[in-house]
Amino acid sequence: MSDPADPYGPEVRRLFRAPAHAGTLEAADRVRVEGQGVAVELCMLRAGPAIRQLRFLAWGCPHFIAAAEALCRDYEGRAVAELAGYSAVETVRTLPVPRGKTGRILVLEDAARALAGSAGITTPSKTGVPPP
Amino acid sequence: MTGATTGDDGPIYLDYAASTPLDPAVAAGLAELLTATAGWANPSAGHAAGRRAMALVNAAAARLAALLNCDARQLVFTSGATESNNLAIQGAAAYRAARGRHLVTLRTEHRAVTDVFRALEKRGYDVTWLSPRPDGRLDPGALEAALRPDTQLVSAMHVNNETGVIQDIAAIGRLCHANGTLLHVDAAQSFGKLPIDLAALPVDFLSATAHKIYGPKGVGVLYVSGRAGAHVEPLMFGGGQQRGLRPGTLPAWLIAGFGLAAELAAGRMAADHARLGELQDRLWHGIRDLPGLRRNGSAEYGFPGILNVSAAGVEGESLLLDLEPLCVAAGSACNSRDRSPSGVLRALGLTDAEARSAIRFSFGRRTTLREIDIAARRYRDAVLRLRALSPAVLPPGPPPARESVG
Repeated sequence: MSDPADPYGPEVRRLFRAPAHAGTLEAADRVRVEGQGVAVELCMLRAGPAIRQLRFLAWGCPHFIAAAEALCRDYEGRAVAELAGYSAVETVRTLPVPRGKTGRILVLEDAARALAGSAGITTPSKTGVPPP
Repeated sequence: MTGATTGDDGPIYLDYAASTPLDPAVAAGLAELLTATAGWANPSAGHAAGRRAMALVNAAAARLAALLNCDARQLVFTSGATESNNLAIQGAAAYRAARGRHLVTLRTEHRAVTDVFRALEKRGYDVTWLSPRPDGRLDPGALEAALRPDTQLVSAMHVNNETGVIQDIAAIGRLCHANGTLLHVDAAQSFGKLPIDLAALPVDFLSATAHKIYGPKGVGVLYVSGRAGAHVEPLMFGGGQQRGLRPGTLPAWLIAGFGLAAELAAGRMAADHARLGELQDRLWHGIRDLPGLRRNGSAEYGFPGILNVSAAGVEGESLLLDLEPLCVAAGSACNSRDRSPSGVLRALGLTDAEARSAIRFSFGRRTTLREIDIAARRYRDAVLRLRALSPAVLPPGPPPARESVG
């Protein structure tokens, strides 16, 4: 039976306790982003246009660590271009993450887009207008 | 209910500074009084049932007075230490406002005190906030410098609820009285655990509560010295009970439980103290070699029932979750969901990050050495795991564990 007063929920607890994608990779694309009281380092090995391996290191609350693990789990094997479309808002909704911590998950979004950018992928514009 | 389990995966309660379980003898006494006439009757009623209830109240007051070495008539029953603090601080400030509106307290007080002073500031009182030395102890010279001719009240806690640091109440009181200033002491963490001799100490008000000494929640006490007795305004009106200082029907059964808990505490004080020291030493020695570990607050002037530590490179909320099923406290024990860094630890000079990583372990009569060993292992494992997850780089060659020293 779940505890209604539990601030985390089973999915956040599971990802926080067993982050299978925590770690680092040699000779990989790498970005580090800090802010909102959290820090994350993402690194990626590519196989052509695809993400072969995605790993993270994170300093922050359990929601942030769980979100970083979910990001790496969900995007490994997908196209690098898709990483640029990672949505913090979607993560906040699905994990779920308290609204007050949305800013922290936006740090993760910044990192995902920066990592895609380091591989030459341009972040899609939310307005549909190509970035300059 | 038998309390926390001692298995590796069961909850291990190490939060005795927040609250204690009922002593079995107190629980049995309370259960009996719930339906006994003396327990439920109104002690202010003049009939036989009321007189039996008042006899219970008087007996409890005598037990508390014996523990504090004061006159039972100097005790006012309240709902707990928070109310006692409010009555003393607001009541004395209001009564003496015509003489002056300057008050003094420490930045390391419990919020049940600091929030009262903040409220008084909004009402026009001038409050001086003293910072302790890095070891958590107040420099008497700093207090002496802060006292003014118009200083009406100083409030200083005996044992800090987060760090366990013990203040030199005798020295603080002497300075206050030499200045004609009243002293209030929040003794929520020390009452029944350390000797308090109010016949010898220069203290005017002292707050205590039952649930920190294995008594029931919902009942506390305020000691009011003969000197201060005429210098406090009540917060509430109606009924005139307790000389009008704190009106309302007295809960005889809770007060009786408080009295029994106090008597038991008096009998066990020396043994409990020695046992807590053993538990604290065992935990500290089980974790002290972790790199980047800091012990917060003076070890020399510390209450052995509390150990507060910070670990560099670790985020506090994640540490707290990783430590489950240990029941420990991070930040303010009274509001562990408030993740702002502890004001107490910031006042001791810790950085935000150090304060955010702080964990308070507090021990009690039911704590076993096995639980301590499990707690030490879990703490070490959690710190190392979270550091391995972290991109933050510890300072090169992190120092061995250090203790706050003044």
